[in-house]
Amino acid sequence: MHPAAGTAEASLLRRVAAGDANAVRECIAKYGGLVWSIARRFELADAEDAVQEIFLDLWKSAARFDPNIASETAFVAMIARRRLIDRRRTRRRRPTTEQLPEVAIDQAARPDACAEAAQAARALDQLRPEQRRVLVLSTCHGMSHGEIAAQTGMPLGTVKAHARRGLISIRAALLGVTEETP
Amino acid sequence: MTGSSKQDPRARELLIERAQRPLDDRELWELRELGAEDDDSFDFAAASVAVAMTPGEQMPEHLAAKILAQSPAAASMLPAQIRTLAGVAPPRPIVEAPKPVTDIAHAREKKRSRAAVIVPWLAAAACLMLAVGAWWWTRTQSPANVAEAPPPSKAREELLAKAPDVTRVAWTATADPNAKGASGDVVWSQREQRGYMRFVGLTPNDRAQFQYQLWIFDKNRDEKFPVDGGVFDVSSTGEVIVPITAKLNVDDATLFAVTIERPGGVVVSKRERIVVTAARKS
Repeated sequence: MHPAAGTAEASLLRRVAAGDANAVRECIAKYGGLVWSIARRFELADAEDAVQEIFLDLWKSAARFDPNIASETAFVAMIARRRLIDRRRTRRRRPTTEQLPEVAIDQAARPDACAEAAQAARALDQLRPEQRRVLVLSTCHGMSHGEIAAQTGMPLGTVKAHARRGLISIRAALLGVTEETP
Repeated sequence: MTGSSKQDPRARELLIERAQRPLDDRELWELRELGAEDDDSFDFAAASVAVAMTPGEQMPEHLAAKILAQSPAAASMLPAQIRTLAGVAPPRPIVEAPKPVTDIAHAREKKRSRAAVIVPWLAAAACLMLAVGAWWWTRTQSPANVAEAPPPSKAREELLAKAPDVTRVAWTATADPNAKGASGDVVWSQREQRGYMRFVGLTPNDRAQFQYQLWIFDKNRDEKFPVDGGVFDVSSTGEVIVPITAKLNVDDATLFAVTIERPGGVVVSKRERIVVTAARKS
């Protein structure tokens, strides 16, 4: 069972699923900033369109939220990332002239946002700096491995390996299992 | 978070990829076939990193109002209520008394009939814009505006010259009739995760009948699940150079094998017709 299970936080999306108009408003107020921040890092130019699509997905997926599996914050972030990744299917490659948002790699900005964020922040601290950098650029900024290689100067194979192993480590920390051989 | 610690290795690779990039249709199909599409543990891991590492910013108020207006809850709200609920100040003081329901219904009806006239014009305008956009895009994508990729033969030479870890292995033809007299080599850089296949004398294919497909066996993966190196055609018995398009990261390539598959390729090869192989020392 997830640490957030049974807390008051767990009930908002269920109320949305039940058609509670006030819950919709509360949800936008509570998670709007998070979704906006994540979307801005993936798509600086089209963040507004992306955020609207994410919330449409969220209303549709609200009934699937299970507080025994994850916290509401992590669930919202997962829906957001899935939509942003899916948008990349049709989006052309990020123009090289587009300025990338600032990347905070060294320390977690909001480790207290939810239990998973705290665990992820601790697990990130255990990674090598270059591994952490690749993982953050990939997961928080939606950069492709090729873009990361171009920006960091690391070989593409190294970028892929760092992203893969980093994600395996974070997942293992969240599941509380011993890391499987990458 | 749902996730089995003992996953099928191929499913695990696809789930890791899904958490970072859009999967193509074949990969999505494969994930479904492996019964792993509901495992969101890697997606949750990536989302948790995103939450931890992303500083909170305020969403613009007009956007919050727009989202609320698009929500299922908006169906039962009037525009002014939406603005209020979203915490957005109305653009100007509302001085009019609320209109009776019949007036609103009448206004909606009027709006609908206006829409019946306007919509076809808007559609026509949109088509025109699309046509102009397509024309403009075609023009801007002309060779003069696009940095041309070097031809495969030149790119292969560059890789051979510049990649310090590049390896070249000669193909060994099998007894398959299409491989009779075939030769060539495969060039691969582990570090750059790219390479090229060169063939001479491999039977040209009719892509409506069958296509060739490359498989890369990785020392660190189950040999039942080699990495798909791409589907390709051979148009002549002369020298043909084909770029390798590995769908997944290859840690340590040990064997390259080309099979004959149905048009479009397959997710898992039955390996009924292998035409050439090249073993690489890891």
